[in-house]
Amino acid sequence: MNILVLNCGSSSLKYQLFAMPEEQVLIRGGVEKIGSEEAVHKYQAGEREEKTTSTILDHREALRQVLATLTAPEVGVLQDVREIDAVGHRVVHGGERFAVSTRIDAAVKAAIKEMFDLAPLHNPANLLGIEAMEDVLPEVPQAAVFDTAFHQTMPREHYLYPVPYVLYERHKVRRYGFHGTSHRYVASRVSDLLDRDLSRLNLISCHIGNGASLCAIEQGRSVDTSMGMTPLEGVMMGTRSGDIDPSLPEFVMEKEDLSPEDVSSMLNKHSGLYGVSGISGDMRQIDDARKKGSARAAVAFAMYEYRIRKYIGAYAAAMNGVDAILFTAGVGENSALLRQTICEKLTYLGVELDREANEAGTGERVISTPNSRVAVCVIPTDEELMIARDTFVLVQQPNIGKR
Amino acid sequence: MKSKRVGLIGAGTMGCGLAEAMAAKGFDIALVGRTPEDLQRAEAHLERVLTRRLQKWSLTEAEKKAILSRIRLTVDWGELKACGLVIEAIWERLPDKIAVHRQIEQVVGAEVPIASNTSTLSITEIAAQLQHPERLLGLHFHYPPDRRELVELVRGEQTSDETVATGRAFIESLEMTAVHVFESPGYVTTRLMLPLINEAIALLTEGVATAEDIDTAMEVGYGFHSGPLTLADRFGLDSVLKTMEALFSETGDPRYRPTPLLRQKVRMGQLGVKTGEGIFRYDEGGNRLS
Repeated sequence: MNILVLNCGSSSLKYQLFAMPEEQVLIRGGVEKIGSEEAVHKYQAGEREEKTTSTILDHREALRQVLATLTAPEVGVLQDVREIDAVGHRVVHGGERFAVSTRIDAAVKAAIKEMFDLAPLHNPANLLGIEAMEDVLPEVPQAAVFDTAFHQTMPREHYLYPVPYVLYERHKVRRYGFHGTSHRYVASRVSDLLDRDLSRLNLISCHIGNGASLCAIEQGRSVDTSMGMTPLEGVMMGTRSGDIDPSLPEFVMEKEDLSPEDVSSMLNKHSGLYGVSGISGDMRQIDDARKKGSARAAVAFAMYEYRIRKYIGAYAAAMNGVDAILFTAGVGENSALLRQTICEKLTYLGVELDREANEAGTGERVISTPNSRVAVCVIPTDEELMIARDTFVLVQQPNIGKR
Repeated sequence: MKSKRVGLIGAGTMGCGLAEAMAAKGFDIALVGRTPEDLQRAEAHLERVLTRRLQKWSLTEAEKKAILSRIRLTVDWGELKACGLVIEAIWERLPDKIAVHRQIEQVVGAEVPIASNTSTLSITEIAAQLQHPERLLGLHFHYPPDRRELVELVRGEQTSDETVATGRAFIESLEMTAVHVFESPGYVTTRLMLPLINEAIALLTEGVATAEDIDTAMEVGYGFHSGPLTLADRFGLDSVLKTMEALFSETGDPRYRPTPLLRQKVRMGQLGVKTGEGIFRYDEGGNRLS
């Protein structure tokens, strides 16, 4: 069975085609700058890599081009678009409605639309992708896999904010959390990697990319996560502030004569590593600058590490202990220095880092010593595979996920 | 709209502001100025405004670049050919507006809607001079357009439903709010705001309160973002006078009579922020001196 996985942004889409259940990637690619005369389509299928620039005015056209690529004889992935058996979409916000992945029908689309308010940048683009796909391949079943779904197991006392309760009742103001598909994937790898039963483990998963979130996972279920109602809450990120005093925006708006939109842009795009260092939101560049003696890059790195370490301490306390700490996503998978700096001050938990495994190894691995009371692992994330797996299950058993 | 390309005539402060606001929402802009010098000034102005927004965190470097890359400054009217909508934003003078609209008609196809960014002039009167009066509408934007998200969508006597619908959809795609008004001098905002400014200047003349207190009263008491006298200095007292005169001559109603101090200030060349003195005084950067 061939499953196409789609991740649509407002002017971009990324895709991968999987052969299931073999979990083999047949092609992966993406289209950027949709809506312009210089849209760029890149893909990689086996040995073949291509990049073309053309006018692509909307997602429908972008998908047509993707399907044409899949069936092009020189690419050799499919003979006919009818060989696509199902499509899985990444959808950012599933609100309280979706605790698991689901088959897409009119009601699901309406629900995704209802959540526009909660994810104004993402859900409209995700829905656009779903509708464009329906136009292009009307007969093919589609599934939605939500970033928020995994965290729907959080208990009430963890997801409510200490603000008037009526705000939750009226507007669903609460913590939702994101990166759920990634946290779920890395947790699913732990039993293989450690040869232990997931249902007996307390995990702290650290998804540290440009956006970053931590997740406390008890018996395979998310019980807390650092992102909240929006992806701005939690640890310090590349360009996002993470946790700040809630009075700060009002104070800065007054002093700098800013509008609410300006403050939002400041906290989302001009803060974090970038805002503090004044150099970049990219950890590699921060690391370079730090080595060359930049004091601001050094303090940005120190803050970044500290704020992640505080959350690890908080989640160890929240779960009354932790058995494994997992690092994933761009920075989490690649910055040995960050992992080392964090772990050096977790000895009170019984963490003992294997420095060689941390620095020299690659891919999925344990980076703590055999004596370490807490296992530390690097697990490269694969959200697309998770979406393909969910979609595979949903289309094979048509009653699952139908409400 | 058939194309995401918008033509803008007039590379002054308003033209630049509109170009910036529209480019920020993904439209490609042909910004047509009169002379290469006008374009240079416009380019410098755009650079300055966007750099300031970058410094105030409302934009990123990448967003600034993207906005600038979508604005094409030109003196060539032929650039309007591929546009799905053309907006005229030149100064408020009827004969000049009519001349510009006639020129636009010669370049663009008959199906392309054309808008005038006027606050007081008659859309019907401009349209009467055109071959396709049904495709002309008024889009009265407010300054600065990236912060004032209100547009008065003005319907002339001959404006077609289709033109109005296109205008409304365009405003929505800019994430701005349109209010639908039928043609009448000053529409809603100018007719309410300018007499208020005029009256504030009259209060000042009568010595009822200081300029600062008049503004404070309206800012604190009525939630005005800026008081009426501050607004007058920003609009330019000459523009305020011209608008009042237009309202007065159009309606013949004495409540629109410009107050004498306004006329006097304009005669003295004290026009507001742009000349360093109006009701208040300003430094070279346009900041108010206390």
